[in-house]
Amino acid sequence: MGDARGMTPEDDTGAQGATGGREPVQPLLAEAGVRQSQKEATRNRVILAARELFDDQGYQGTTIREIARQAGVSVGSVFTTFASKGEILSQVMQDRLDRLYAELDVVVPHLRGSTADRLRSMFAIHFAFEAQRMRLFLAHIVAAYDFTQTAAATPFGRNSHLQEIIRECLVKGVAEGDVDPAVDHQEVVDLLMSAYAWTYRLAVWDGADADTMTAVMDRQIGLIAAGFTPR
Amino acid sequence: MKHTAPLRAAGETVVKVPTRRTLAKQQTRAKVLAAARRLFSEEGYEGATIRDIAAAAGMSTGAVFANFTDKSDLFREIMMTDMLALGDAMREAAARGKGVDDALLRMFGAGYAFYKSQLPLARAAFSVGWTPEEGPQLINSQPAQSLLDIIADELNAGVERGELSQEAEVKLRAQMLFEAYLSNYKQAIFEGWSLDALQARSRDQIRVLLAGARRG
Repeated sequence: MGDARGMTPEDDTGAQGATGGREPVQPLLAEAGVRQSQKEATRNRVILAARELFDDQGYQGTTIREIARQAGVSVGSVFTTFASKGEILSQVMQDRLDRLYAELDVVVPHLRGSTADRLRSMFAIHFAFEAQRMRLFLAHIVAAYDFTQTAAATPFGRNSHLQEIIRECLVKGVAEGDVDPAVDHQEVVDLLMSAYAWTYRLAVWDGADADTMTAVMDRQIGLIAAGFTPR
Repeated sequence: MKHTAPLRAAGETVVKVPTRRTLAKQQTRAKVLAAARRLFSEEGYEGATIRDIAAAAGMSTGAVFANFTDKSDLFREIMMTDMLALGDAMREAAARGKGVDDALLRMFGAGYAFYKSQLPLARAAFSVGWTPEEGPQLINSQPAQSLLDIIADELNAGVERGELSQEAEVKLRAQMLFEAYLSNYKQAIFEGWSLDALQARSRDQIRVLLAGARRG
């Protein structure tokens, strides 16, 4: 999609020349433009429809056919845009996460208190955001271990943006003196991520809401913080 | 144990008829389980179908369903068997440890060694573990909970020996240690970490997670 938008007339005529294009150049360009925007529109409709369906009836319980019907497009055109259901899920998640991180990037610099408290606030924002679409997030996690997943799908746990935010939080903590400079940051990041994952599982088991998850996570952050606080 | 022996005895007493049947049934179950284990490892949980499993076991889907209610039943049976064996290996390893850190490290090492040769199955288990229906059944099962108990037992022993403070929050800490242990499978599965690398990571995690309890 990105390279199509950057396509120059030369590229277009060249491509047509190579395939022995018989039609004049100008109508072809216009047609390509229409096709491009149609593709974009299809893509957006598919993502919107998939988000609703995954959240309502789960990822496994949703078929490409249903997504196409809900989006008002043909099954064929879903497949010209996405290689697999897993790829649609990744894109749905990416769109949502982009919004979450845009929000976090604004909020995080204003967080006050100890490193542990700043981490607590950050995760609380996560839970509040994700609780709106719990089944969707769970589907995302399950799909990470799905063998049928294609390479273009980004599995859960490779969430580098969240890890980056935690790392920045720790760097600031070192500067402010409540994080031991000798502590391996990646190690703390991984522990927080595993605590985060477990807390999330509470939602699967008990239908825990955002407040419950936040309370559990707060205690775990306290425990991990005891491990990175200077002696 | 060959089924020819009970066959001969079958006509003599009524008691031995079900024995032959039971034996045949056990063999069928074992065949299905072996085929299922292979297919779950090759195709993942979602990818493996009962039809494929039956074909791999050389029997009809009907014969599979006569022994297992559905795919999740099959998978659970495999996991339960493995987790019981895993629990034994972990408890044994922990018993050889000197102090809490060492006991936990040995215990987790035994776990990684156990699954090293069957990581695809572990991967399928993680996928199932996250589903709303099967996940709780798997994780709240007795064999899975007993793995958590081993950790809690080691922490409590540490409290008794005075290694850890009385306010060690054993339950939460045990859970977090268990989750940290599980989380490293991601590195093992997707990044091919060696047992040594997993051990080193575990050592650090244990140190961090016990730090607060040691201070008390």
